Amino acid sequence: MQEATLSFKARAQEALADPTLKIAIDRTTGTAERKRAVAMTQFPQFEAARERGKRIKDHVIANLDHYLLEFERNAIASGAKVHWARTAEEASQIVVRLCKEAGAKRVTRVKSMLGEEIGLPHALDEAGIERVETDLAEHIVQLGGDRPSHIVWPSMHRTREQVSEMFKRLHRAPHQEETIEAMVDSARRELRDKFLTADVAISGANFLVADTGATCTVTNEGNAELTTTPPRVHIVTAGIEKLVPSTEHALLLLRLLVRSATGADVTQYTTFHCGPKQTGDRDGPEEFHIVLVDNGRTRMLREGMKDMLRCIRCGACMNHCVVFRQLGGHVYGGTYPGPMGAVLTPVFDGLESSRDLPHACTMNGKCQEVCPVAIPLPTLLRGWRDRSWREGLEPATVRFGLGIHTFVASRPRLYRLGTAIAIRVMRLFSRGGLVKGMPGLGAWTAYREFPAPAKRTFMEMYKDQEKGQ
Amino acid sequence: MSARETILNAVRSGLGNTAVDPAAVRRDADALLQDLPSIRPALLADGLVDAFIARVTSPKVAATAERIASASELPAAVGRYLEAFGLPAVVALQPAAPLQDLDWSGFELHDKVAPDEMIAIGVARWGIAETGSLVFHSGADTPILANFLPLHHLVMVRADTILPFLDDYAAATAGQRPPRNVNIVTGASGTTDIEGSLVLGAHGPRFLHVVIVGTPDSSE
Amino acid sequence: MTNPQNASRPPSSPRVGLFVTCLVDAMRPSVGFATLKLLRDAGCRVEVPDAQTCCGQPAFNSGDTADAAVLARHFIETFEGYDYVVAPSGSCVGMTRAHYAEALADDPAWAERARRLGERTYELMSFLVDVMHFAPADVKLDTSFTYHDSCSGLRELGVHDQPRALLDKVSGLTLKPLEGNDVCCGFGGTFCVKYPAISNAVVGEKADAIDRSGASLLLGGDLGCLMNMAGKLKRKGSSVRSFHAAEVLAGMAGGPAIGEER
Repeated sequence: MQEATLSFKARAQEALADPTLKIAIDRTTGTAERKRAVAMTQFPQFEAARERGKRIKDHVIANLDHYLLEFERNAIASGAKVHWARTAEEASQIVVRLCKEAGAKRVTRVKSMLGEEIGLPHALDEAGIERVETDLAEHIVQLGGDRPSHIVWPSMHRTREQVSEMFKRLHRAPHQEETIEAMVDSARRELRDKFLTADVAISGANFLVADTGATCTVTNEGNAELTTTPPRVHIVTAGIEKLVPSTEHALLLLRLLVRSATGADVTQYTTFHCGPKQTGDRDGPEEFHIVLVDNGRTRMLREGMKDMLRCIRCGACMNHCVVFRQLGGHVYGGTYPGPMGAVLTPVFDGLESSRDLPHACTMNGKCQEVCPVAIPLPTLLRGWRDRSWREGLEPATVRFGLGIHTFVASRPRLYRLGTAIAIRVMRLFSRGGLVKGMPGLGAWTAYREFPAPAKRTFMEMYKDQEKGQ
Repeated sequence: MSARETILNAVRSGLGNTAVDPAAVRRDADALLQDLPSIRPALLADGLVDAFIARVTSPKVAATAERIASASELPAAVGRYLEAFGLPAVVALQPAAPLQDLDWSGFELHDKVAPDEMIAIGVARWGIAETGSLVFHSGADTPILANFLPLHHLVMVRADTILPFLDDYAAATAGQRPPRNVNIVTGASGTTDIEGSLVLGAHGPRFLHVVIVGTPDSSE
Repeated sequence: MTNPQNASRPPSSPRVGLFVTCLVDAMRPSVGFATLKLLRDAGCRVEVPDAQTCCGQPAFNSGDTADAAVLARHFIETFEGYDYVVAPSGSCVGMTRAHYAEALADDPAWAERARRLGERTYELMSFLVDVMHFAPADVKLDTSFTYHDSCSGLRELGVHDQPRALLDKVSGLTLKPLEGNDVCCGFGGTFCVKYPAISNAVVGEKADAIDRSGASLLLGGDLGCLMNMAGKLKRKGSSVRSFHAAEVLAGMAGGPAIGEER
């Protein structure tokens, strides 16, 4: 992929230069931000609910081994087959093997970020299995041959004009009218028969319910149920942190998830899947598989990133992030973009290749403020910066500069002298109240003016005043 | 070592290898379900049925609703709905006794839902006033696809099965063996995937009409 | 807001250590003198310890925790003896109040000293309102302003109502709301020079919003953010003039604004 070969800064430059992308980002994240704000005014209990949600997730993580075993026991009792995968590769291999054992030619998929994380689309394509993405946004991503750019709106980077053009080119009976309604209809016609003729359905899970062994998916389109009901086999892939003690706990978290994600009070469809089709059932799969995936999660537990395991993947942090709203999701280069992605991508891809992500953040704290489970994202990002520093991944110039700074700033007289000299040098470059063309200030002055310093420092003037008194 | 053992061991070591007391975990989990009123949103009206209808018909859910006194009035209500839309009286009827037992003369009925089904009529086990949701369980008389394939979905729900809050549904069914599927349905199918603007009828129904039967204290 | 237990009565003539911050010291001393005047008007005995330098935030946010700890210890030694420490910056105070204990986590004794000093360290606006119950008198400025809430002050310290309450007492001065007043300006300390293009895109939107407010002045409580926004406003040819809120409150906004010839 082209994106992977460019550096983060080069990708950022490309995104910043793309005027269509900015329009697309603003339309989707702007709507999400406004709708969430309205939902908050209608739910004054949010703060208390958020504290409860945080405690539920913390409780589960603190007893994760217990809940994994309880879930496994109940899932098996309901007739499900439970598989465990240490890594992304192991997880996608299990899914591909299950598809092959089912003799699958066509597989329908419900959008799942974990599926993206474990590289499932690629693994299915490699195995020569026809993959049909049924979520409208993932369908758009599939037609466009690119990657999701947002965890809730994967095709956020496409404007309606671009979607219209793709549908007209690639759908069997495309829309005639240039409205979003007509485009949605076109996708409905295109995917209808594929839902009903697939051999295997693959979904993720928003929750794994320990005391029933059920998995829960939430969608607004109804594609999850249309996907997971007709095929003979239904496979669920889920991260081990998705557990909740009971359905009741899941529904408390659902209130937080949906309001934070889209500003709605609840998703149109919230469905629990417990085992395969039961005796007498009119429809449903004959086989039900659940793949429990670690892929770095136990490492996060070990390495002080436990708080991140609370994440319920609502996307509020990215919708409210000033950096994400300039760049969109692709620039981040990983499965998950925005603040939560900047915390997670170094876990999956290693810090060396992703060290820009935790640095490209102003530490403004908005993401933590809107997080429905109060994840201290800035603290976690700073944790990566700390680690990058300790592992020697920071550029030599920065290390040298900060070393000098600390040496000087821990010696007040030297610091006074240094500051006094620095402002006098700056004033040599000052014209009309602004510093112009001074070496070393280019990163700032390429884009904005640098206000000139005063003639003397505060400390110099203050001392003179004191003497004068 | 199997993947299962590796992961469980990694979890345990990540948690500091402390012993788990299942009874204590259970107590902690239950404690997290205390004082629910402080973390629930307000209902839109005082009475459960009124609150439910207010939510169902609010812009956020964007469905339609009506009340009838007894189930026997359902065919007439369906007839009025079809007439208003200019639709033929050809409907897929969920094979559930409360519907099958009614007098459907004048309708052409079938129980197999077609991929392009125009109208399906179903019955929900519960309604939820907080969100205007309908709850379905899969089963011998409840094909799941009937809730998702039709363009118009007409659902009957008894007033005395309307619960106040989402978590009340979970509490009402706790300890029972779950069905293959629980569908909590709130409004028609929708998508905001193109530029965040809401369009109904994405893959599932475009129209949802809810018919509430009886009163909360009637046994109808 | 920051320290409700102090909400009852203001302390009488507390001994306050003024931390002017490195940016104010070097770039805009008038903010320091305005702070000095406001604290004295509020009845404080103010001292400016000569040993003060930098709070260590650039090192801390760069991941250089060891160097941040060196400067944290230096700050604590310099200011520990005062009843209160006050700085005209939410960002530097956020560093001392919220992050010194993290930077010194390996050293419990110092972390505890950091915590105790943090409790007595205040951003200027919140100190004047929440601790000193102060309101400026006889300050007049006939113009309109819009206000940017800098992120550290807003989210780490709860500074939001205090500057508005103080500025409300300046006669002739009217507030014009800023769309996205709580959205980051893109400064972010070293972020703005490490990722200048992204920073520029963010501050570009901020400058547009400031212009749309229709106000004559941009005020705020953090010089770093103000230099970033003023620099962008200047570059785009906006007529909006930028001052630190302390300068206006102290009646010292008669001189050149940030980025104007002096």
